[in-house]
Amino acid sequence: MPVISLFAWMLVIAFLAFIACMFEDLESDIGSQSNPNSQVQLAPEMGYIHRYFNKAISGEGLSYGLSCTISGTIAMLILLQLGSVGPKAAVLAIPVGAAVGSLVHMVRSSTCHVGRESAHKRFEQPIYLDVFYGHLLPIATHNFMAVICITAIAYIQCNLGILSGVTGASNPFPLPLLCLIWGLTVGAIGSSTGDIHYGTERVFQDKPFGEGRRVVYHGQICRYGDCGVRTSKDVAAFCAKFGGPATGLAFGLIVLFENWRTVIGMLLGGLSIGGLANPAVAAAWGIGIGIGIAIVLVILARTLEKWTRNKYGPFVGE
Amino acid sequence: MGEEEAKQEEKEEKAKPKEEFKLSFDYFNESRLGIFALTIGVLMAIFPGLPAFIKGVGIMIVFAWGADSVRKTARYGLGTGVPSIGVLAMGFGIIGGITGIAVASLSFGTLVVGGVEIAFGVLAGVVLLALLGFVSGNLANGDKFINMKIPGLERGMMELGMAGTLAVLIETSIVAGTYDITRVLPSVIDNGVIAVIFIISAFGMLQPLNTCLGADERRGRTLLMSIEIGGIAGIILGIVTTLTLSAFEGVPLIVLGAVVWVVFYRAYMKACMEEAYAVKGTGLIKTLGG
Repeated sequence: MPVISLFAWMLVIAFLAFIACMFEDLESDIGSQSNPNSQVQLAPEMGYIHRYFNKAISGEGLSYGLSCTISGTIAMLILLQLGSVGPKAAVLAIPVGAAVGSLVHMVRSSTCHVGRESAHKRFEQPIYLDVFYGHLLPIATHNFMAVICITAIAYIQCNLGILSGVTGASNPFPLPLLCLIWGLTVGAIGSSTGDIHYGTERVFQDKPFGEGRRVVYHGQICRYGDCGVRTSKDVAAFCAKFGGPATGLAFGLIVLFENWRTVIGMLLGGLSIGGLANPAVAAAWGIGIGIGIAIVLVILARTLEKWTRNKYGPFVGE
Repeated sequence: MGEEEAKQEEKEEKAKPKEEFKLSFDYFNESRLGIFALTIGVLMAIFPGLPAFIKGVGIMIVFAWGADSVRKTARYGLGTGVPSIGVLAMGFGIIGGITGIAVASLSFGTLVVGGVEIAFGVLAGVVLLALLGFVSGNLANGDKFINMKIPGLERGMMELGMAGTLAVLIETSIVAGTYDITRVLPSVIDNGVIAVIFIISAFGMLQPLNTCLGADERRGRTLLMSIEIGGIAGIILGIVTTLTLSAFEGVPLIVLGAVVWVVFYRAYMKACMEEAYAVKGTGLIKTLGG
């Protein structure tokens, strides 16, 4: 029974990862963080005044590292203070920590918009106050959803031994450090997977299909929406249909495969309530299954790419 | 003569916005700020017995120095590389901080004069990272190696290494109250506080330039933000210190952090709003020159 509950907790972690990365991607789209930001930054310099929110805190990985680490630190301190209550203290600690983390994130993003737009003085880019105020709350709420999931994942990993009843299943890293690692990871996946969708589908529409971003088109972002002038909030509503869930799926699958291969390896290594009977066998099986999954994914990706190139190619410049 | 007068008028016009703000960094040019912050930082670092809120002032000054070094290194067109430079500084900082703490924990690393603890050993970390920064700057810039030819990279890397090390050292001494490795390990490293020290110091150094980047970036405005992040760092470290050491150490640091954050956040926002091309409630967009 404890072994099954261990597997159940790992599925919970994968589900939380899916939610976290989906909201992370949508949050980064509200405010053009990361890669698409370079074109939003260039637009006024090329004469295209826009109403996008310029949220250049840093790359997504680092900014999520910040809010998740602060959340994890606050949660850890509350857990230490309420140590006598036991695991129930997490019900208070995780949301409060996430609230503080997303508050800090909101403050950081508020400084970004005014900072970058006032540095565009000579290009006549004004600061639109409705854009500035209107984006702060969506940023904070989406960030809260992502950070609370990441903090919960870190908490579950930290206390997996107690929660599942299997000795030695807890992660040896402390809560804030796990939050930092997970924050950097969720930001990295959200950036690498989600930005492509946001950028190509919504911001850089003025280019031939399959072509890279030519210098001629630099700064020529899509500034008008279906009706009226587009702001970053409208982009989030669009990306919530496909880009966000796709990004969440990417991260959720990574976490799922990672946990799945570890648990299968542990089962083959003789997992019981007392811990692992044979750690070396467990590690070997885990690594072997991991390599197998990677090979299958590479073959699938290559097949898909070949099919796409045959069907829609040849692309410009090929 | 007429042209010269016109130029002078232009200069005066450009200089005007600087005078409107009381919080100005005009006196502290790049060299003066570096020397001042190095002096203050070293003084704060070698006296681990100082009250936490005084060391809180120290980290704000060190953040401003670090942000200035990032600006120095990255303003020659390192657009997306700015965050990397800040994280590099803190990577240097963690190495230097751990080295300094290890040396200070040795028997000869810390002197006790009249009951006051003077941890000279931490300077070993600062010196090591100054050397390491100089070497890595030379490797990146030198003709025989990567040859990036970024002006002032060697100096920037050296300062980044020292600023990062001082930030880690001062923050460690705030949280642990000493450099004794037997107390630093449980209260800073084992419980993961080192993660928050790393990321918030990195933001104090990398975010100001990354956020204010643009053609009309102004140094005074950029540095206001590094001190503002120092305020947030003060609040968070104050909360941690209240639990690891005592409320007597932690609460003044929280108050200091809150006051600094409010003052500098207001100053930064005001500076941005006043220096922007225009601040409009709402409005439609236009295309210039097209």
